[in-house]
Amino acid sequence: MKLLPSTTAGRQVAYELISGGSGLVLALFMWGHMMFVGSILVGTYGFDWLALQLEVYFIAQPTVIVIFTLFLVHAVLAARKIPAQLEERKVMVKLGRDLKGQPHSESLLWIWQVRTGMAVLVLGSFHLVLLGVDVLTPLWGERIGIESVTSLARVQAGLWLPYAILLICVEFHASIGLYRLAVKWGVFSSLARKTLHRIESIILWLFLGLGAVILLVLAGVLPPPLAFLLTGASA
Amino acid sequence: MSEANGNRRLKFEIFRYNPQDPDSTPHMQDFEINELPYMSLFMALNEIREKQDPSLQFDFACRSAICGSCGMMVNGRPNLGCRTQTSDLPDVIRLHPLPVFKLVGDLSVDTGIWFREMAEKTEAWIHAEKAFDPDAQEDRMDDELAQSIYDSDRCIECGCCVASCGVANVKGDFAGPAGLNRMARFAMDPRDTRDDSDWYEVISNENGVFGCIGMMACHDICPKELPLLEVYAYLRRKAVASALTN
Repeated sequence: MKLLPSTTAGRQVAYELISGGSGLVLALFMWGHMMFVGSILVGTYGFDWLALQLEVYFIAQPTVIVIFTLFLVHAVLAARKIPAQLEERKVMVKLGRDLKGQPHSESLLWIWQVRTGMAVLVLGSFHLVLLGVDVLTPLWGERIGIESVTSLARVQAGLWLPYAILLICVEFHASIGLYRLAVKWGVFSSLARKTLHRIESIILWLFLGLGAVILLVLAGVLPPPLAFLLTGASA
Repeated sequence: MSEANGNRRLKFEIFRYNPQDPDSTPHMQDFEINELPYMSLFMALNEIREKQDPSLQFDFACRSAICGSCGMMVNGRPNLGCRTQTSDLPDVIRLHPLPVFKLVGDLSVDTGIWFREMAEKTEAWIHAEKAFDPDAQEDRMDDELAQSIYDSDRCIECGCCVASCGVANVKGDFAGPAGLNRMARFAMDPRDTRDDSDWYEVISNENGVFGCIGMMACHDICPKELPLLEVYAYLRRKAVASALTN
């Protein structure tokens, strides 16, 4: 069975579709991911309950494997457009800086998309391995699976820093990626590009803000702000 | 018109280099002139050449953004010298020749070589099998399609889009914004007998539309405001349609 078309043109179409498609799925997954992690906002009870449901019904285990695979496929295919030589990159960075300013920012944003993509590849791999071990093995915690005790302890022990960097990089990379994908394929072409860019900015700041609050709760700096929703339920 | 127009002393930092002269080395040279009302870069450069340095090389022909010969980097952004007003620029104006193209000297580049090569590669002419009959009525064409073809045809080959393209700057074989626009122009023309399978290999290629990384500078820079992003989206969708039918 052939996984990819045999012609050069066919392969190029496949690469482009898989690269963009995997990016789209990963970006949408990150929105769902924010909702899962956001369960900490109602307290550790909500977090543990949701984690347990996802594991009992075997949603978490295949998700970790599928997302890690997509993550690597996306990294390989998206990276095919990054110039290999440092000199070439310098030319692009200079061009991006020179062109910056109204009404154009996308060239420099592309360069930052590459930079944040590299950071996500490193920090995201670390996070995915960690979570893969959590979900699939009994190495940490009292049972196989994600537990608030372990997660809180890790973040409070210092992982808040790499996670804060990962949060900023992922949200930036995903929101600008979605915007670029829409423009590239002419999706939502009835909307002006300026409108799409504005939507992208709103999505970015919304998820950054939400992510920051979640991280602060995990770090023990903020009490769970929605804990009152489960008053009486938590231990 | 800005308040500064006509009252300022403008400083020009201009790239100087004559590849024909073995003693010439690339360097920046400063010039100062008084700004005049409604002064374009065309006027400013002519004044510098007439009054300060007759050896300064730059190109202009039509002075009305039609001929496409006065493309240059103005404070790092490609633009046409004839339509750039000094009143829109700061007191210090930095001018470089357009990158990517062959340098003739100072601000003058030969865009012709690049565009000719691109036109030959894409065979940028109508491929018709029918003999032309001057007496026959032209085949009818949908208004919207005619408008799209016309839009693509408005390209004046100034090279600003190519100079602003990150990929074209580092990858010589890339068709570039103007090249992709040219492909689309002929691919959408019903009078051209080349079908999807003829275009497939050319468009669906890392030197074709999939070489584009979506920096979008070409669209924002184009002095003729060509809808380049729509052109690329059309080519991308065409490539996928060809992949599904081939």
